[in-house]
Amino acid sequence: MTAAGRPGAGWWWLILPAFLLLVVFYVAPILQVLAISVTEPEPGLGNYERLFTSGAVQRVIVTTLRICLITTVLALLLGYAIAYAITLASPRARGWWILAVLVPLWISVLVRAFAWVTLLRRQGLVNNTLMEAGIISEPLPLVWNEFGIVVGMVHYMVPFAVLPMLASMREIDPRLLAAARGLGGSRGQVFRRVFLPLSMPGVIAAAVLVFIFTLGFYITPAILGGGKTLMVAEWIGLQILDLIRWGLGTMMATMLVVAILVTLAVFSRIVDLRRIFGAGA
Amino acid sequence: MSDARGHALGLKGLTKRYGEFTAVEDVSLEVGQGEFLTLLGPSGSGKTTILMAVAGFVAPSAGAILLDGRDITPLPPEKRNFGMVFQGYALFPHMTVAENIAFPLRVRGLSRADRDAKVRAALDLVQLATFAERLPRQLSGGQQQRVALARALVFDPALLLLDEPLSALDKKLRAELQEELKALHRRVGRTFVNVTHDQEEALSLSDRIAILNHGRLVQQGAPGLLYERPRTRFVADFLGKSNFLEGTVVEAAAGGFALDSGVSVRLPDGAAPPPAGSRSLLSLRPEKVALLAEGEAADNVAEGRILSWSYLGAGFALRVATERLGEIRASLPSWQAAIAPAEGLPVRLGWSAEAAVPVEEDAA
Amino acid sequence: MDGTYRPGPAGRGLAWATALYLVLPILIVVPVALTDQRFLSLPKDGLSLQHFRTVLASPEWLGSIWQSFTIAVAATVLSVVAGTLCAIGCWRISRRATELIRVLMLLPLIIPSIVYAIGLYRYFGALDLLDRFMGVVIAHGVTGIPYVVITVSTALAAFDPRLEQAARGMGASLTQTLRWVILPRIAPGIFSGAIFAFIHSWDELVMVLFIASRDVFTLPRRIWDGINENLDPAMAAVAVLLILFTLLLLLADRALRRRTEGG
Repeated sequence: MTAAGRPGAGWWWLILPAFLLLVVFYVAPILQVLAISVTEPEPGLGNYERLFTSGAVQRVIVTTLRICLITTVLALLLGYAIAYAITLASPRARGWWILAVLVPLWISVLVRAFAWVTLLRRQGLVNNTLMEAGIISEPLPLVWNEFGIVVGMVHYMVPFAVLPMLASMREIDPRLLAAARGLGGSRGQVFRRVFLPLSMPGVIAAAVLVFIFTLGFYITPAILGGGKTLMVAEWIGLQILDLIRWGLGTMMATMLVVAILVTLAVFSRIVDLRRIFGAGA
Repeated sequence: MSDARGHALGLKGLTKRYGEFTAVEDVSLEVGQGEFLTLLGPSGSGKTTILMAVAGFVAPSAGAILLDGRDITPLPPEKRNFGMVFQGYALFPHMTVAENIAFPLRVRGLSRADRDAKVRAALDLVQLATFAERLPRQLSGGQQQRVALARALVFDPALLLLDEPLSALDKKLRAELQEELKALHRRVGRTFVNVTHDQEEALSLSDRIAILNHGRLVQQGAPGLLYERPRTRFVADFLGKSNFLEGTVVEAAAGGFALDSGVSVRLPDGAAPPPAGSRSLLSLRPEKVALLAEGEAADNVAEGRILSWSYLGAGFALRVATERLGEIRASLPSWQAAIAPAEGLPVRLGWSAEAAVPVEEDAA
Repeated sequence: MDGTYRPGPAGRGLAWATALYLVLPILIVVPVALTDQRFLSLPKDGLSLQHFRTVLASPEWLGSIWQSFTIAVAATVLSVVAGTLCAIGCWRISRRATELIRVLMLLPLIIPSIVYAIGLYRYFGALDLLDRFMGVVIAHGVTGIPYVVITVSTALAAFDPRLEQAARGMGASLTQTLRWVILPRIAPGIFSGAIFAFIHSWDELVMVLFIASRDVFTLPRRIWDGINENLDPAMAAVAVLLILFTLLLLLADRALRRRTEGG
C-alpha cells in the first residue's frame, strides 16, 4: 500500500475469513434452497403455483400470519409496560427489572417450552390446581393448540420487544416529562401526548423485530402446537424430513425469506436495523 | 540524542481534496532544521489536514512532502519516524505512563534494558519520574500532556508534530505549559511543527508562523513581522485585533501616502506606495491608538464620542464613534488612562503615521 | 431517570404481571425437578434429588452434554476469531463496502434457522459433513459470527481511533497495533461476544435436527426427544442444570463488564 494514511490493504485481510466463511457456508446453502424451489421436481414455477391452488398451503400461511400478528401485538403491549417501568424506575430497581428481561432471553428456548408444557398440559400444574380448587371439573385445553403456541411465543418474544423500545425510551429527556407535569398535564395526558409519541420509533422497531422472528419460528410452535396447529417453519421441516417434497419445502422457505426481507426493506426507511440488532447484545 | 539539530521539512504544492471539497490547496512551505513552526488558522482552514498529511495519516491529492529534500509522500505513518502529540493526547488508557512511553521503543524491538534507560531519561526530561507507574486517567491534564510529549520524543523522531497540544487545558495551565514547551524545544533542539487556532499560543511559541485560511497559505513569517506587517485583512483580523480604515489614495510619495479621509501613512523603507486614485485598506491596531490630551498633537487625529467601554483590569477597551472615520477601537493601559471613561464622552484619538499598515482585501 | 415521574397504577400493574409471566414459568421447573414422585408434578411428601442423580448417572445425558460442550467451544473459537477480525477490519476501513459486509454478517440473525437448516441438509450431504462433529461446528460457528461482530463493533465504537493513529505514528505495524493497542481495549467486547456465541451453539436445535442424527446427538437434541417422547422429571432436572449454567455464563459476563466499566 503506497498511499499513506489510507487504511492499508492489511485491514481487508482481517475481514476475509469471516467473509469467506459466510459466503461458502451460509450464503451458498441458502442460495441453493432458492435454486431448488424452481428446479425440483421439475424446472419452472410449478411450486409457486401451489400458493394459489393448494388449500393446505394457504391454510398454513393464514395460520402463521394470524399467530404472528396476535403474538406481535401482545408482545408489544407487555414489552411496552416493562420498558416503561424500566425507564422510569430508580437505578436500583432498574437492575432487577432488566434482569427479569435478560434472563429469560438467554435461557434455552427448549427449557422454556418444556416449562410451558409442564404447566399447561392436561395433567399439568395449572389444570391440576384449578381442578383441586374446584373451579373447573374438566381439564382446559391449554396446550397443543393455537392458545398454547401464542402463550409460549409471546413469552419468548417479550424480551426482544423490550430491548429496542427501552433503547428509544432512554433517549427521552426526563425533564420533558417533569416539564409537562409542571405545565399542568395529568399523568395520562403526559403519557399520551409526550411519552408515547417520543417512544414510537422504538415501538416500530420492536414490532418489526418480533414479527420477523415469529414468522420463521420453529421450536416453540412445534412443541406447544403438538403437531396439530402447523406454522410455516414446522410445515417446511415436515415437507423435507417426512414427505421428502423438496420443491414445496424450499418454495415455502423462499417465500419466508422474501417476506422477511420485504418487511425489513419497508421498515429500514423508518428504523435503523443495526441499532435493533445491536440492542440485542 | 543522535542528531541534535533535527531535520528540515518541505511541502511542495500540497493539495488535499475530499470529493468536491478542497481542504488544502497548493501549500508550499519550508521548515528549517530545529525550527518551531506553527500552522495557525481558524477551524476548517486546513491546518490539521496538513499536519495529518505530514504524519502520513492523510494521503495528499497532489504535491509532495520532503524530509531533508527526500520525498517521503508514499511512506506509511509507521515508516516516517515522526513523533506526534495528538489532540487530547491519545495516551493508551490500559498502559501505565512508563508503558506508554516505552511503546514506540517496544515496537522497534529494543531490549528491555535499553527501553528502561530511555524511558527514564524521557520521564526526567518532562519531570514526571515519580509518576511512571500511574495510569493516564490518574494524571492531571497537564501531566498527561507531558507524558504525550515524552512518548513522542523518546524514540529520537526526525520531527515532532503537535496537534493543538494545549487546547484541552484551562487558560492558566496553558500559559505555564507554553513556557515549558518552549524550553523543551530549546533543550531538545528538534524541528517542531505545531497546529493551533490560538493566536496567543502561536505568537509566544513559534520561531515562525504560517497562517492558513480556506485551505490556502495566506502569509508566513516571524511572529513579530506577521503582527506588525499583516499582508491581508484576514491576517490582521485573526492575529490580534484590528481597526480597518478604508479610503481613496489622494497623495502618494516614496515614503508614504494619504487617504481622502485625511489619514496619513508612512511606509517602511523600500515599500512602494499605492497609486493615487486607488482604493486602500488600512489596518490599525487598537493598542496603537492613544487618547490625546487637550492640545496634544499626533500624525493622525480623530475626534469622536465614546460609544461603549469595558474595563479589562490591565487596561480599558474603548469603542469610539468618530466623525470622519466611523467606529474606532482603542485599548489603553489602565495607568495611562487620563480620563474616567463614560458613554458619550467626547475624546480625541491620535496615532502615528507608522501605526496604520496597508493590507489587501481577502480574495473571495 | 431519577424517579421524579412514575408510571400510573395501570402501567405498574401490567409491568409486574409481565415480569411474573416472564420469570415464574421458568422457575416452576425447579420444584418439579426436586419432586419425589415418578411423574412430572410438584413435590408431595418432600424434596428429592433422585432425578438429578438419574441424569448425572446416565451415559446418554452425559455424552450429549460433553458433545454439546465441545461443539460449542469449537464453534465459539471459530465465531470469535472470524467475527473479531471482521469487526476490526470494518471499523478501520469504514467505507460503503464494509457497511454491506456488516449487513451480510447480520443475515444469520435475520433469516430463520429452518431455511438455513434445510439448505445445509443438502449442502453438507454433498460435502460429506452430515452427522459430523465438524459439520455442526461449522454451522454453529458461522451463525455465531453476528453476535461477536455486534459486541466487538460496540466495543470499538467506544475506542478512540486516535489511539490507533498514535500507535502507527510511533512506528507500530498492523500486527503490533492489533496485539498491544486494539485487542486489550476491546477484550470485554470479545468476551461478551464469546459468551453469546457459546450460548447460541449450546442451545441450537433446528440445524442439529437436520444435519445430525446418530453420531452427533447434542444436548438440545436429547431434550427435544425427551419432550416429544417421555415427559419425566429427569427432563426438569436437565432444565434446571441448563438454567444454572446459563445464569453462570451471564453472571460472568456481567462481572467482567462491571470490572472494566468500574475499574
